[in-house]
Amino acid sequence: MGDKKSEVLQGTLDLMVLKTLNSMGPLHGFGIARRIEQLSEDVLQLNEGTVYTSLLRLQQQGWIASAWGTSENNRKARYYSITRLGKKQLEVERENWERFAGVVGRVLSQEGQG
Amino acid sequence: MRAMRGLRVFSARMQALFAQRRADRVFDDELQQHLQLLTERFVSQGMSRKDAADAARRQFGNAALLQQRQREARTFLSLTSLWRDLWFGARMLRKHPGSTVGVIVALALGIGMNACVFTFVNALLLRPPTGYKAPNEMREVWEHPRNASGIGSFMPLTYPDYAFFRDHARSFSGILAYDGDPEEIIWNRSGHGQVLHGQLVSGNAFSVAGVGVAMGRAFTPADDQPTHPQPLVILRHSFWKQRLGSDPDIIGKSLMLNGMKYDVIGVAQPGFTGFEVAMAPDFWTPLSMVEQLVHDPGRLTSRNSNWLLTDGRLVAGQTTKSAQAEMSVLARELELAHADTNKDMGETLFTFAPVPGPFRGYVTAFTGMLMVVFGLVLVIACTNAASLLMVKSTGRAREMAIRSALGAGRGRLIRQMTVESLLLSLVAGCTAVLLASLTSQLLLNLIPSSLPISIELPLDWRVLVFTFLVALVTGIVFGVTPALRGTRIDPVQVIKAETHSGGYQKSRLRTAIMIGEVAVCALLLFSATLCVRSLLNAGSIDPGFDTQNIAVATLDAGSLGYSDVKVEAFYRELATHIRALPGVFSSSYVNHLPLDTSREQTSVTDESLAGTKPNGVPVDVFRVEPGYFKTMGVPLLGGRDFAQGELDRKVNVIVVNGALALRLWPGQNPIGKLITVGDAKVRSQVIGVVKTGKYRSLGEEPIPALFRMEMPPRRVLVVHTFADPGSLLDAVQREVQIVDPNMAATEVQTIGKFMSLPMFAARTTGLLLGASGLLALVLTWIGLFGVISFSVSERTCEIGVRMAMGAGRGDVMKLIMRQGLFVTGIGLVIGIGAALAAARLLSSLLYGIRPDDPATVVVVVAGMTVVTMLACYIPARRAMRVNPVIALRYE
Repeated sequence: MGDKKSEVLQGTLDLMVLKTLNSMGPLHGFGIARRIEQLSEDVLQLNEGTVYTSLLRLQQQGWIASAWGTSENNRKARYYSITRLGKKQLEVERENWERFAGVVGRVLSQEGQG
Repeated sequence: MRAMRGLRVFSARMQALFAQRRADRVFDDELQQHLQLLTERFVSQGMSRKDAADAARRQFGNAALLQQRQREARTFLSLTSLWRDLWFGARMLRKHPGSTVGVIVALALGIGMNACVFTFVNALLLRPPTGYKAPNEMREVWEHPRNASGIGSFMPLTYPDYAFFRDHARSFSGILAYDGDPEEIIWNRSGHGQVLHGQLVSGNAFSVAGVGVAMGRAFTPADDQPTHPQPLVILRHSFWKQRLGSDPDIIGKSLMLNGMKYDVIGVAQPGFTGFEVAMAPDFWTPLSMVEQLVHDPGRLTSRNSNWLLTDGRLVAGQTTKSAQAEMSVLARELELAHADTNKDMGETLFTFAPVPGPFRGYVTAFTGMLMVVFGLVLVIACTNAASLLMVKSTGRAREMAIRSALGAGRGRLIRQMTVESLLLSLVAGCTAVLLASLTSQLLLNLIPSSLPISIELPLDWRVLVFTFLVALVTGIVFGVTPALRGTRIDPVQVIKAETHSGGYQKSRLRTAIMIGEVAVCALLLFSATLCVRSLLNAGSIDPGFDTQNIAVATLDAGSLGYSDVKVEAFYRELATHIRALPGVFSSSYVNHLPLDTSREQTSVTDESLAGTKPNGVPVDVFRVEPGYFKTMGVPLLGGRDFAQGELDRKVNVIVVNGALALRLWPGQNPIGKLITVGDAKVRSQVIGVVKTGKYRSLGEEPIPALFRMEMPPRRVLVVHTFADPGSLLDAVQREVQIVDPNMAATEVQTIGKFMSLPMFAARTTGLLLGASGLLALVLTWIGLFGVISFSVSERTCEIGVRMAMGAGRGDVMKLIMRQGLFVTGIGLVIGIGAALAAARLLSSLLYGIRPDDPATVVVVVAGMTVVTMLACYIPARRAMRVNPVIALRYE
C-alpha cells in the first residue's frame, strides 16, 4: 500500500456513512462509496465492500432504514436513509469523535525533548 | 438505552433467522450491482473491460468473506456455516476411521450401560403406572409401628383397617385395595386344568383408579359385600383376546375357577395390565371372595392378617401432608378401639409409583450404585476419547495453523473441533440407545421365572432425553479440553519450524489424564473382581441338597375342592406314575423347597431338659414324605428315614437336622429322644438326623430345622433323575394330566433353574459389576495403547538419537515400558486406595470374601500390569525398528 493512503480507522466508517446519509439524503451503497471517496480526496483507502457491512450494522441498530427505489440509470436499487434515531446517534457520535480527535491532536502536538 | 439497542439488534436478527435465503440473495445482488457500477466507471475512465473488472474487485475487497460476515452478523449462528462445519467434521472423522470407531465404541459402551440402568430406574421409579387416570393424585397407604424403623416395619393393611379408612378418610375421594400377591388359580376348561393368576380387588378399585371396561361393566361396591360374596370376574383384555378368542358373547358366561363357577361381568379396557405394575393377573374378582378363592377363612375379619395394598385418590386441593394428618388421627382412633392389634400403629402415605413405597429405597440404592459404577465406566470412556482427540489435535496442529493463517478466528477453530466431538458423541448416543434396549432385555431374562414379575421397559422420552443429555455432556467434556489446547497455537511458529508442537505441557496433561483413567479402572476392576469371586463362592456354597439331577413341580390338589382322601389318592397315584418313568431314580413330596420364598416356623421343647438348658428352640419346619432325603440327596448322619408304614399310620416321628441336635443335646445321641413340637399335645420321637443345609438364604448361619410328615394339599413334587432332569419336565407335566385331567402342575423346572432364585441378587450384581470391570479394562487398554503409540511416534527423533549413540533395542523397549508402567503404577496406587475405601459398601453383597481381600489386590495389580505391558508392546516394537538415519533426516 502506498504511503499517502491510510486505512479506515475501525468504527469510523459507521460514523462516515451515517453523516453522509444525513447530509445527502437517501443513497444506495454505490453512491455512499462514491461520496466518501470524493470527500476523502483519495487519502483514504476504502474496501468498498465494507460499506455494506456497515450499512447492515446500522440497520440492525435501527439508525438507518432502507427502501427499494430506481437508480439514475433505471436500475432497481436499495436506498438507505437516516432515521430519527440515527440523527440523534450521529450527534452523540460526532461529539465523541470531536472529543477523541481533540485529545489525540493535543497529545500529538505537545512539545517534547525528542 | 443500551438495553433497548440490544433488543433491537436481537429482534432484527430474529427476523433475519426466518428470512435467510431471500436476504442472502438480495445482499448478493446488491454487491454484484456495486461491482458492475464500479467496472463501468473504470471503463469510462479508459480502462479495458478486463482491467476494469480486476480493479473493481480490488477496490471492492474480499466479497466472499464479506458475504460470510454478513450472514454471521445478520443472525445468530449461521446455519450454513454450521452445516459446513458438520460436513467438514464428518470428513475429518472419516479420514481417521480407526480413532473415530475407537472413540464411538468406547463412548457408546459407556453411555449405553448408563442408559440401560436408567431404563430400569425409569420403569421402576419414574414412570407412573399405566392405566390409572391422573396417577399423580394417587397416594399409597401403608401401616407401620410408630416407633419402628426399617423397611420390614411397613405393612399392608388388614381388611378391617382398610374398611375403616375407606369409610372415614375425607382427604380421599376413594381408597382402593387389592391383594398384593396374585393367586394361582386352576381354571377347569372342559375337563382340562390350566393355571391362571387371579387378583382380589375392592369393589371400588376400577372406579377409583379410573379404569374402564371394553365391554360389560366394572365392579361396584355392591359387588363386594363381605356378608354377601358374589362369584364375579372381570377379565384382562389380552387374556380375553388370546385365551378366549375374543368371544363377543363372553359377558354372562361363566368360568370354572378352583372348582367354582364365576360369572364374567366385564372385560377391562385394552392395555390395562393390573393395579400393580409388575403383575399382570388374568382376571380380577371382589375381595369378599377371598375365602372361596383361596380357602382361607377369617381373612376378612382378622385384625392380624395384613394382606391389602391400598391406593387412595386425593380430593382436589388436598396435599400429601394434609391427608397424612387426617390418616394419623384416624389411626389413633383405631388404636383406641383395638389396643391389642393397633397399638402404636401409624399410617404413612407414599406417592404412587410402580415400586411400592417402602421398597423404593432398596431399588434406589441398588440402581444408584449401578449408576455410579457405570458412571465411572463412562468417565473412563470420556478420558479415552479425550486423549485420543488430543493426540489427533496435536497431529492437526499444522492444519489448524494454516486455517488460522487464512483468517479463521480462534473461536471458529474451537467451534469446528467442538462440532466434531459433538458429532462423535451423538453417533455414540444413537448406538447407545440400541445397546441399552438390547442389554436391558438381556437383564430381564435374569429374573427367575419363579418370581411373578413382568416389567415393561419402554424406551420412552425420558430414556431418550437422558441418553442424549449424557451424550451431549460427554461430547462437551471430552471435546472442549482438546479443542482449547489444540487451537492455542502460533501459526507462524508451527508452519515455519514444522516442529512437533505438543511439548512438555501437553504431554504432562496427557499423562495426568491417563493416570486418572488407570485409577478409575483399578477401582472398578477391584470391585468387579470381588463380586465375581464372591459369585464363584456363592456357587460353591453347599445348600445341603443336590443341585444337579432333580426336577421339581408344584401341585395344589386342594384348589379343586377335593376331599382329603381324594387328595391323598391323587398324590399316591401320581407318585406311582412318576416312578415308572424311565430315568427316574426316586421321587417324593415336600410342602415347600428350602431356599424358596415360603417358610414355616415353630419352636420345639424337650421337657426332660426343663429348667437346665435353653428350651423352646425356634426351628424351621419342612413337611416331607418318605424318600425325601434320598431324592434330594440330603445325607443322613444317623438313624433312618421315615417309613411308608409310619405315614399311613400317622405315627408321630420326626427327623431333625444337625444344628437342632447340637442345640438340644450336644454330645448325645439324639435318636429316640422325645420332643414337643409347637403346642402339640403328643410328643414326637426323633428317628433320624440329617446334615444341616441352607433353608432361607445361601449366606445364613446354621439354622435348626425339623422334618415331619402330615402334608398340606399343596405340595412340591421332587424327582431324582439319572440324567439331565430337563428332559423329564414334559413327561412330569403329562403324567399329572393323565392322573387327573383337572390338575395342572406349576413351576415345573429343574433344580438348577430353581436355584436361580436364591442366587438372583449375587448373580445379577456379579454379572453387572463383572461386565463393568471388563469394560473398564478393555477401554483402559485402548487408551493406554493410543497414548503410548502416540508418544512413541512423537519421540521417534529422540529414540533415533539414542540408538545412534549406541542404545540397544532392549534399552528402547525398557524406555517405553518404563513410561507405561510409571503411569499405571501411580494410577494403581490411587485407584486401589479408593477401592479399599469404597469396598465396604459392597460387603453386604459378598459371600465368603472380605472387602479388603489381599488376593484381589494382587490380582488387580497383576492384571493391570499385564495390560499395560501389552499396550506398550506394539508401540515399543515399532520404536525398536526405528532407523536412526531416517528418523534424524525426517526431522
